[in-house]
Amino acid sequence: MSEAPAASFSTAPPLSGGDQRKLAAARWRWFADMPAAYLLLAPVLVLFAFSVVYPLIQTIWLSFWDIKGLYPPKFAGIGNFITLFHDATFQRAIVTTLLWTVCTTVLSVTAGWIIALLCSMAPRQTLIPRVLIFAAFGVSEAVTGYIWLGIFRPDAGGLLNSLLQGVGLGALAHPWLGDSATAIWCLIIAYSWAQTGLPLILIFAATQAVPRNVLEAAYVDGATPWDIMRRVIAPLSMQGVRVAVFINLLGSLRAFDTIYVLTGGGPVRSTETIGFFMFRESFTQFKLGYGAAATLVLLVAVLIISIPAIIQRTAAAR
Amino acid sequence: MIGKAPHWIAPLVWVISILWIIPLVGIVVTSIRPEADTVLGWWRLDHVELTLNAWISVWSKYPLAEGFWVTLQLASIATVGSMILTPAAAYAFQFLRFPGRRILLIIIINAFVLPPQVVIIPLFTLWRQMGLIDNIASVLIPYVGLSFAWSIFLVKNFLEDFPRELIEAARIDGCGPVRIFFRVVLPNSLSPIFAVGILQFLFCWNSLLIPLLFLRTEVPLPVIFAQISGMYDANWDLRAVAAIVTTIVPLVVFLVFQRQFAGGSLVTSGSKE
Repeated sequence: MSEAPAASFSTAPPLSGGDQRKLAAARWRWFADMPAAYLLLAPVLVLFAFSVVYPLIQTIWLSFWDIKGLYPPKFAGIGNFITLFHDATFQRAIVTTLLWTVCTTVLSVTAGWIIALLCSMAPRQTLIPRVLIFAAFGVSEAVTGYIWLGIFRPDAGGLLNSLLQGVGLGALAHPWLGDSATAIWCLIIAYSWAQTGLPLILIFAATQAVPRNVLEAAYVDGATPWDIMRRVIAPLSMQGVRVAVFINLLGSLRAFDTIYVLTGGGPVRSTETIGFFMFRESFTQFKLGYGAAATLVLLVAVLIISIPAIIQRTAAAR
Repeated sequence: MIGKAPHWIAPLVWVISILWIIPLVGIVVTSIRPEADTVLGWWRLDHVELTLNAWISVWSKYPLAEGFWVTLQLASIATVGSMILTPAAAYAFQFLRFPGRRILLIIIINAFVLPPQVVIIPLFTLWRQMGLIDNIASVLIPYVGLSFAWSIFLVKNFLEDFPRELIEAARIDGCGPVRIFFRVVLPNSLSPIFAVGILQFLFCWNSLLIPLLFLRTEVPLPVIFAQISGMYDANWDLRAVAAIVTTIVPLVVFLVFQRQFAGGSLVTSGSKE
């Protein structure tokens, strides 16, 4: 931005006499704005402090305490973290989280990307199927869980098993959600199904923003639609892909609703991600300190994948 | 697209979209078939009979009507709250000068990466101490407070292109900073405020984790729905109706405003610099 008065303050070069006067005037305005600024900001700062700043600090603080139900809390130092990393259930939750985060992101972004590129070749004729796929993203996550419950359920009404029987593969019919080897894949498919709409729309929007003269130039040079797709549109859609990957990673790390409805974390806690594990430890076992420690592990994972976004935002915050 | 697109593209996309259409159609069909048929599979054609029984009896079986009202209230209050408070803060961050401006801005706009899991344990103990469990304030405060992390960024991003001449002119005419906000900036930034409203409404309506923990007697639809969706519960027809009731409002809002939605998510995720 060309004119960013507040930010230019701290980074201003040494000043001449005239500049000194200007600075004095600006500083006066700086303080003149203050009551108005805090008046407009006050409700936001109070609510933000209540619902973000205080809980974040308190989560860190609680993670050093051993809290069991209503017994008086005991200071545990890093005891919770030591227990956590020796806890077989938590180790499993880490593996589940990695598998879940990577697979749902790869599946939904790849599917969305392919469909977006196909749609970009015939935007008008593919409007209706595009909107229908996007609609699945607008369905409540809890309802997505129920929809896929109806597909994976083991009895006659389960669509997947019936399909397998219908095509003569009845031998493959399986209690998909009751087996800890397959339950996580059911979750991954259900969640990716719901999430595909977002990368589809983001990447499709990126392809539609490719300047017309670029396409015309390629066409005049004798490129076929396939060449244009591969050499022009696909590379220019990368920005949309990066955004979609980031949003999907953040989304799957915080995912809770679909897991809660579809498997409840089971069987035998095999489909608990860290975001679900902390819920279970804190609110069904009431080990709040232990749950807080697990939450911090989740927070570290979130911060690691957010580093580029945080740097970009902080640099652009003027 | 320049040149002629291969004619197989549209049919292929239609075929792919069947994967998304069938599960959605399944819910609707399940809700209008007799229960005995839904147990055997909603797609079977050996006994075709349509009924609205589930649509009639579901209201006495599950507290859906109350849930709908609770959800509508919570989502509406939180949405209006965010739509009123966000632009004021975004304006202050963009156009006013005050100590702590940049650091506050950096903290708030980077908080969008935080998952709700990070705040629920302390909020739970805090609400318990304050006796706020089962009070709507216990969910409204985090709904609105968490929204600022992305909503302020969205509106401020819009204000970066706001013509400064308008503000300077108002200032020379003797308008104070608060008056400038209400008379000049607010009336001219309705589109990002509207986008904030849509995103916030969808987020609040679909929210499960926060009301599941903080509300007990009057719970919103996703909580009711999650509770009746135990794996071995029968009543597939009733639950299909409940699923439709739970998701129909956000789904329609989402489809009607999908342009604002996509634009809003692009900006809040930081792809537009």
